[in-house]
Amino acid sequence: MKLLQLSPSDLRHQLAGEGVWLRTGPFSLRVRSRIPYVAEGLAELYGQFEVRNSHQAFADFHVELNPPTTFRRWFRPQVNFSFDGAEPFKPLPLDQAYPMLEWGLNWCVSMHAHHYLIIHAAVIEKNGLAAILPAPPGSGKSTLTAGLVLSGWRLLSDELTLIDRKTGLIHALPRPVSLKNQSIDVIRRFNPGAFINRVSHDTAKGAVAHMRPPRDSVLRQHEPARPGWVIFPKWQAGAATQLVPRSKAETFMFLAQNAFNYSHLGADGFRVGTTLIEQTHCYDFRYSELNEAVATFDRLAERRAP
Amino acid sequence: MARFQIKSFEPEAVVFDTASGDTHFLPPLTVALFRMIQNNPGITVDEMHVALASQLSLETGPDLTHQTDEALASLRQIGLLEAP
Repeated sequence: MKLLQLSPSDLRHQLAGEGVWLRTGPFSLRVRSRIPYVAEGLAELYGQFEVRNSHQAFADFHVELNPPTTFRRWFRPQVNFSFDGAEPFKPLPLDQAYPMLEWGLNWCVSMHAHHYLIIHAAVIEKNGLAAILPAPPGSGKSTLTAGLVLSGWRLLSDELTLIDRKTGLIHALPRPVSLKNQSIDVIRRFNPGAFINRVSHDTAKGAVAHMRPPRDSVLRQHEPARPGWVIFPKWQAGAATQLVPRSKAETFMFLAQNAFNYSHLGADGFRVGTTLIEQTHCYDFRYSELNEAVATFDRLAERRAP
Repeated sequence: MARFQIKSFEPEAVVFDTASGDTHFLPPLTVALFRMIQNNPGITVDEMHVALASQLSLETGPDLTHQTDEALASLRQIGLLEAP
């Protein structure tokens, strides 16, 4: 059963009660919340995801978003994220309940899924090959990811690259794409048909909204991809589109420093990471026009098509 | 398991130290020097300069001497070479 088959009142009722069981990529989660923003966000963005009766299905992560039990319930209301009963973060304004769910789920995966080498990077796929897009905040990574998945690339993840330690394949976690500040309007203009949910203002990252993942990406969420490229995007006003090969050793070092669990995995992290780099072509990518960026990525995919 | 795991991405390399858990980047000159020392036990510093200049198309002189000293120091710091 898909989440969109639940009526809004059933969804709210289940969330407020025993919780909603959801499958996202290789992980299952049980979400509980009495907050309407959370129900609204799930209904708008997770419609194509599988849900089950939470009494009957095992869940990897049990999360809850609810107001703290203090006077803040009435005065500038807040939201708490809890994971297995613990509260790893400080409460946020209630308006940020939905982004907090997404950030909290990223935290759950990055802190616990050590059967993967987890790199802080977006990852997309075409013709069976994955392009990993690691980049610091403000580089235009999420905008580029959204533009590419609205142009025929498959979304594997906009934030967490999951590399299977046994096979070296990249697993999909096609949850909603996080858009920040100007990138929200850039994507609205790029594809007016894209669904972007309500904007949460004044978060630690500025204005934040989420784009619904393409249906095809969700339907294929159990299909892993081979690593094809590691591409460092950098948006720069007025810049000509430019794709330049970069050092593999330096790329490896960057990935190791930006992996959530590289240190935790020790020598196996080194083995998995160097094997990944061996299989990939590494580039620096500069762009200012999203359409041109998509065309460049399409040409890359065509050149390595099977 | 050996203490060091080395992966070459020509002309550079990366090294994982299983004892400390640290990962190191080796630039081209350091990689060339490390290989030279491995393949030529007992090689002198002067011989290294001449061989590096020839291998990497560099001019011998103070710059190369300085770079070689730095590369040797970094190999010792990582632990890939023992201090003399």
